[in-house]
Amino acid sequence: MHVATQLKEAVETRPVAAAAAHRGALLSLLTCGSVDDGKSTLIGRLLWDGAGVTEDQAAAVLHASHNRAVNGEKIDFSLLLDGLQAEREQGITIDIAWRYFETPQRRFIIIDSPGHEQYTRNMATGASHADLAILLVDARHGAKRQTRRHAAICDLVGIKKVVLAVNKMDAVDWSEARYREIERDFRVMAGGFKFAQVTIIPVAALTGDNVVKRSARMPWYAGPTLLEHLESVDPEVVQDDAPFRMPVQLVLRASGDFRGYAGTVTSGRVRIGERIVDARSGLGATLKRISTMDGNLTSAGKGDAVTLVLDTDLDISRGAVLSEVQRRPTNADVIEARLVWLSETPFDPEAGYLLRTATDLTPVTSMSVSALVDFETLASTPAHGCNVNDIADCRILLGRAAAIDLFSELPLTGNFVLVSAIDGATVAGGVITWAQAGAPQVGDNVLVLNRELLARGLCADLGDSPADSAEFNRRAQEVAVLLRSVGVPVLIEL
Amino acid sequence: MTALTSHLKLLEAESIHIFREAAAQFRSPVLLYSIGKDSTVLLHLARKAFWPAKPPFPLLHIDTTWKFRDMIAFRDKTARELGLDLIVHTNHDGLARNINPFDHPPSVYTDVMKTVALRQALDAGGFDAAFGGARRDEEASRAKERVFSFRAAGHRWEPRRQRPEMWQLLNGRLGKGETVRVFPLSNWTEADVWRYIALEKLEVVSLYFAAERPAVTRNGQLIVVDDERMGFEPGEKPVMRKVRFRTLGCWPLTAAIESDATDIDAVVEETLAARVSERAGRLIDHDTAGAMEMKKREGYF
Repeated sequence: MHVATQLKEAVETRPVAAAAAHRGALLSLLTCGSVDDGKSTLIGRLLWDGAGVTEDQAAAVLHASHNRAVNGEKIDFSLLLDGLQAEREQGITIDIAWRYFETPQRRFIIIDSPGHEQYTRNMATGASHADLAILLVDARHGAKRQTRRHAAICDLVGIKKVVLAVNKMDAVDWSEARYREIERDFRVMAGGFKFAQVTIIPVAALTGDNVVKRSARMPWYAGPTLLEHLESVDPEVVQDDAPFRMPVQLVLRASGDFRGYAGTVTSGRVRIGERIVDARSGLGATLKRISTMDGNLTSAGKGDAVTLVLDTDLDISRGAVLSEVQRRPTNADVIEARLVWLSETPFDPEAGYLLRTATDLTPVTSMSVSALVDFETLASTPAHGCNVNDIADCRILLGRAAAIDLFSELPLTGNFVLVSAIDGATVAGGVITWAQAGAPQVGDNVLVLNRELLARGLCADLGDSPADSAEFNRRAQEVAVLLRSVGVPVLIEL
Repeated sequence: MTALTSHLKLLEAESIHIFREAAAQFRSPVLLYSIGKDSTVLLHLARKAFWPAKPPFPLLHIDTTWKFRDMIAFRDKTARELGLDLIVHTNHDGLARNINPFDHPPSVYTDVMKTVALRQALDAGGFDAAFGGARRDEEASRAKERVFSFRAAGHRWEPRRQRPEMWQLLNGRLGKGETVRVFPLSNWTEADVWRYIALEKLEVVSLYFAAERPAVTRNGQLIVVDDERMGFEPGEKPVMRKVRFRTLGCWPLTAAIESDATDIDAVVEETLAARVSERAGRLIDHDTAGAMEMKKREGYF
């Protein structure tokens, strides 16, 4: 790899690039499993053999390994992972640790989180940032209840690709029969979840077999090594023709009466000249310009951080979700969700909470827990309370409608965290499983106020100028308010 | 575009998202500008996040009075050219007590002239959020850092009281007395920073490029003599060496490396091939075991 040439090439050929085109260049992976399964050793091995360790770090590990003598005279790779002092002293990973390494093929983010049940919240938090999860099992024990819990957490937060690393193959004499048995069991277990891809690899982290280097001791295994798989797997499940969404982060104003909506596209693609709507107000406009410091773009897709300039001022602010006209978010004021309780303070129906969706913060009017889910058995038990590390199904009534999608369809506008109104703490994170519109939707015997209808009479005097367009919108809103006040459901589609 | 440069676009978009989330949620943010390569990238991303508007916050530089002269010149030029507000703060109490890196241990000097100075400046400005260029790949305790890192009253960092961060959602609702440090470069590595500087053709302080500089060797580390305040040991004499810096701080505490990398391509190549982590050149981090974590608990960046 000649870096200077590579860079020069990149600089010279660089288009005003859209992030979406480059997602394959970066893979975030979660490692789940307990200390006993050899998880830290596995990641340490990936870093060590994959050349992600610098000499001074290596020296520190060799030195500390000798002090702790955890593996006799062997190198303790897990020392590459443990960070905070307290954790180091206890010899246990508590928080989430982030590690970075790269190979000529790909840049990796390793998210390391603890596996024990009392750290379910840490694992869910870590998993929410991952494209792929490595579930680790000890070949002597196979997939256990804990493995199912880990898989369920990964599934809950939206991970679509999992790898089962069957570790400690050295301890079962590199037995193919044992591996096949574990493989069969896990395929059945994984079939219960919404994973798009399940890959199973026999490894031995301690000796490095099939982690980075192909094992000579398991000739019966013809699949990729762990690193080969990680280098080639597609980070995303590509969804063709996903609807466009961009939650507005803030409104940017600059000289020359520039007014743009800044945000990151969370789904689909939008092009200059297309009609888009603000899901909450139902107001529409045409996309005039996609602005970035590197120049204007003709389109923007998922992952792009851009600023959209519209032909009419929709008078919207942070929290609005810009969407394509046809498939819009639900303007919901009642939702059902599955969440993981993160706070040490249990759920309290009397406490004040706020629902933080993409960029919106909505007061919760009332909230009730309906069931707790045991992620080891996947059994659901009716309940009214929940505590730290619990997985709960709940129903939330919002103080006003928010633009919401279902997590299973559009994860980045269908997820949320629950915030304490008192101290601002993040008390839970969840996924929206059902949403009910407060305002009526098309088809429910609704009057749809569209451009044609209004242009015929009420707005016949208005032209195409920005001032006239604003007046057009204003009149539409006023008409809707009057009609709704006498009980006529109205939807504005301009 | 190759795989290893195109991932920068993803990191860039993520950083812009973080900048915007913080600017929208905090009342009075400030960008901690320390002049180095990370600050250069941080500032560039801030400009992108709010363009065509200017970043809606000032820059803050904690000046210990021991920064390299080239750094100060670069700082002033950058703020002037971009038309940004620059706040420069020095702990004058520490200065009056002549706290300096030659007569005091690095831990004492850093605490007074950097940590305390930063707290003074943040309190004086009434800032509730401070952007910093810290990266998780820098040091073990940083590897667990949040993007929004909450500090209790007195700027104390409590590892156990940090908020979980899920998906792309950043909760910036402050509790009583809380402030926050925001780290848009959390997921960047040193190599990413250099590649990005090359790709975006950003100007950085010349000290990052190899040149003949007067240096002395202490405890196996190369210290470049930047001004007449150098406290020489008996018999010690500076020798011209071809050196550059991987990281920039106070000149008596920042070790140089011998290098022939005189331009950005050579620096990137050298960084990618490096087998020693960049903080090996930061003398303060080696003072005691777990040094960085202790400094952070006291309010260091």
